[in-house]
Amino acid sequence: MTNYDEVIGKNRRFSGMLIGVLGLGLLSGCITVKAPDRPIEINLNVKVQQEVVVRLQKDAQDLIENNPELFPE
Amino acid sequence: MTRKTLIIATVAALGLVATGFTLSAPASAQSAVAQAMSAGSVGEQSDGYLGVAGSVSASVRAEVEAINIKRRAAYTDLAAKRGVTVADMAAATGCQTLANRVKPGQVYRIGDGAWQTKGSGPIALPSYCANAQ
Repeated sequence: MTNYDEVIGKNRRFSGMLIGVLGLGLLSGCITVKAPDRPIEINLNVKVQQEVVVRLQKDAQDLIENNPELFPE
Repeated sequence: MTRKTLIIATVAALGLVATGFTLSAPASAQSAVAQAMSAGSVGEQSDGYLGVAGSVSASVRAEVEAINIKRRAAYTDLAAKRGVTVADMAAATGCQTLANRVKPGQVYRIGDGAWQTKGSGPIALPSYCANAQ
């Protein structure tokens, strides 16, 4: 015959321990994700500037060749 | 008498020198700027404009300013066509002038830096000039 009182008692003890362990785990192992106070800024200005200038090199060459009076040597 | 002759001679000599200057000056303001560039008193800047590096006459300074105004107009046109800022167009041209136009012995300036004289090697260009050739 199964002693239900004993089984229930064991389960209760077990449940208590489980809650306790979980509680400890929740307290200690929690990773808190907090939004930064300021927005994250990624500065791409230098790269953009570089690409723009490189693209314009041909235009600049033509400008110099076609306007020698503006570009004395 | 001798003194008077000396004074007259001096005045005459000065007049001759002055005339010489007057005669040589009108020989196209363009070449005056080119001469100033050869002399190292005018040079190209990385911003795409000419700059005055040493002492120059008022007429050379005026001509440098006139050239810069014309350059700015040209940069403005091209910049509008390409959808970029005037400063970017000017800087691209500055890369070209520094890479290809400045000759050894001439002076140039990068950004707000000091004027430098170009040596026998190529000028160390700003990083954004990557493909300038």
